Amino acid sequence: MRIFDRLYRRVTRSSAEATIDARRATLAILIAFLAPALLIYAGFTIYPVVRTFYNAFHTIKPQGVVEFVGLDNFRALVFADSTFWKAVANTAWFTIVATIVDVVGGLLLALCLFVRVPLAPVLRVVWFTPVLMSYVVVGIIWVWMYDYDWGLVNATLRWLGLGAFEQSWLGHPSTALWSVLVAHEWKWLGFNMIVFLAALHALPAEVLGAAELDNCGWFAKLVHIIVPMLRTTIVNLTVLSFIGKMMVFDLVWVMTGGGPLWSSETVSTYVYKRAFEWNTFDLGYPSAIAVLWFAIILLFVALMTRLLRQRDRIEF
Amino acid sequence: MANSLPMRSGFAQLRRAPLVLFVAVYTVVTGGPLLWVAMMSLRTTAEIFKNPYGFPAPAHWEKFVDAWTKSNYATYFWNSTIVVLIAVALVTAVGAMVAHCLARYSFRGNRLVRFAILTGLVLPPQLVILALFQILLDLNLYNTLTGLILVYVATHIAMTVYVLEGFFAQIPQDLFDAARMDGYSDFEIFWRVTVPIGAPAIFTTVTLNFIVLWNEFLFAVVLLTDDNKRTLPLGIMHFTGSHQLDVGMAATGLMIAMLPVIVVYAFFSDTMIKGMTAGAVR
Repeated sequence: MRIFDRLYRRVTRSSAEATIDARRATLAILIAFLAPALLIYAGFTIYPVVRTFYNAFHTIKPQGVVEFVGLDNFRALVFADSTFWKAVANTAWFTIVATIVDVVGGLLLALCLFVRVPLAPVLRVVWFTPVLMSYVVVGIIWVWMYDYDWGLVNATLRWLGLGAFEQSWLGHPSTALWSVLVAHEWKWLGFNMIVFLAALHALPAEVLGAAELDNCGWFAKLVHIIVPMLRTTIVNLTVLSFIGKMMVFDLVWVMTGGGPLWSSETVSTYVYKRAFEWNTFDLGYPSAIAVLWFAIILLFVALMTRLLRQRDRIEF
Repeated sequence: MANSLPMRSGFAQLRRAPLVLFVAVYTVVTGGPLLWVAMMSLRTTAEIFKNPYGFPAPAHWEKFVDAWTKSNYATYFWNSTIVVLIAVALVTAVGAMVAHCLARYSFRGNRLVRFAILTGLVLPPQLVILALFQILLDLNLYNTLTGLILVYVATHIAMTVYVLEGFFAQIPQDLFDAARMDGYSDFEIFWRVTVPIGAPAIFTTVTLNFIVLWNEFLFAVVLLTDDNKRTLPLGIMHFTGSHQLDVGMAATGLMIAMLPVIVVYAFFSDTMIKGMTAGAVR
């Protein structure tokens, strides 16, 4: 009853009282500001997440056939699904390598611009351009780049006299995943570069100047001064990159569709296939994959922030 | 000191040679493929197969007209335009209202609302997409642009609120107290104080959401099936898949998809860069 009392008082609070403090608002006002967003968000994000968790413990067939199966989906997934494990291995390799390339490459590119190479402002804009392209555009461009007969990659190899390394890059199981990775990095390196560049410009100039006076070599300066000072940015980008790579879907889907022979299948493409292209027509099993994978991502993010961050916490 | 300076810069120049070489190579690697596609978009497929890397001479500008009139690119383009414009407008409006409310008012549940919304930042799309497919089917919104717009708004509220709230919270409280004294209503305060002052941040989220949604693929591919409902990324993928040998026309399609982003980028490169990195830098 007390709650209703308070609610009532809040709704009917006199306008004179409200005008005194700009930090207070009546419940009606709060609802007016929050409701549109919260309704859409609850209906099309929170509810779907809850339903996915529910689905993970059921078999969901078309025409509303729902059957409770408990942990069967997870059991089948972990103990009997070799394709899932192949996808996990691919995603793990992809994530590890791409995250390292993202962070190290992004930092190196940012340093190039930071030391004022000629045309740096123009290069910054050019290097960032691929970030703005959609995965579909990037994927198709790189499918052409990798074309065996007329793609630029093989053409460049021939031109350099390295014709022996010519490959059907996306058609061979041993190169498909890594070829997709190159395209992925081509798109995202510019993003990491820009973030590092902003962080570098925010560094106190005196420290770098002092290192200059001490005649500190560039490598020593990088390892002992710049990297420690960029720690927060490095951790943020590592976590961000990790999350993105663990969910990689679009580029793989456009370029290889997971093939050949599952060699570039990732967890996300496998979820999509099981849900919409498999003849089991079951949404429960792919939901179980999504739930398990989300738990694993959360676990690793928690672990990484724990290990890497030390003092500073995640700030929302 | 006087004579050590030129010597040092001489050394620096020598040391810079590999750096400049690396920078040049990377620039060619990033810019090259884009330039290549731009050239192909102005050449016919026959010309491309004769020489894949030739210059577009003569330039076949009519290919853009053909793409627009003879294939479905116009439909794809308008679908994308409608979906993105409405979704960006909606997500900006409702996101700004929430951000204002969270930044300005102290009320019970403030932290809970903030937490619930910002959780959206870390949810993988795979965790919502399968259930969204069911939900939109239930609501008869599957395979409609309306359904896609609602999904886009819902999935991009988190980022919008995150960026806007950080900015709105820095607006001095005095302004709001003064506005209250002048007898502004709560909504007037939002509309006449927060929105004008927060305009740069709002503009940042608009560009960010525009790029992300213009390029969005996963939700669209799951939630749309009709050819005449496809957005540009789906349309291009479909066209390239069904006309694998018509590289010239596919390249024209890619350019059509890229042009709006490139045009906006040419004018607002700094804002767009800021928008794309807004989440990571703060």
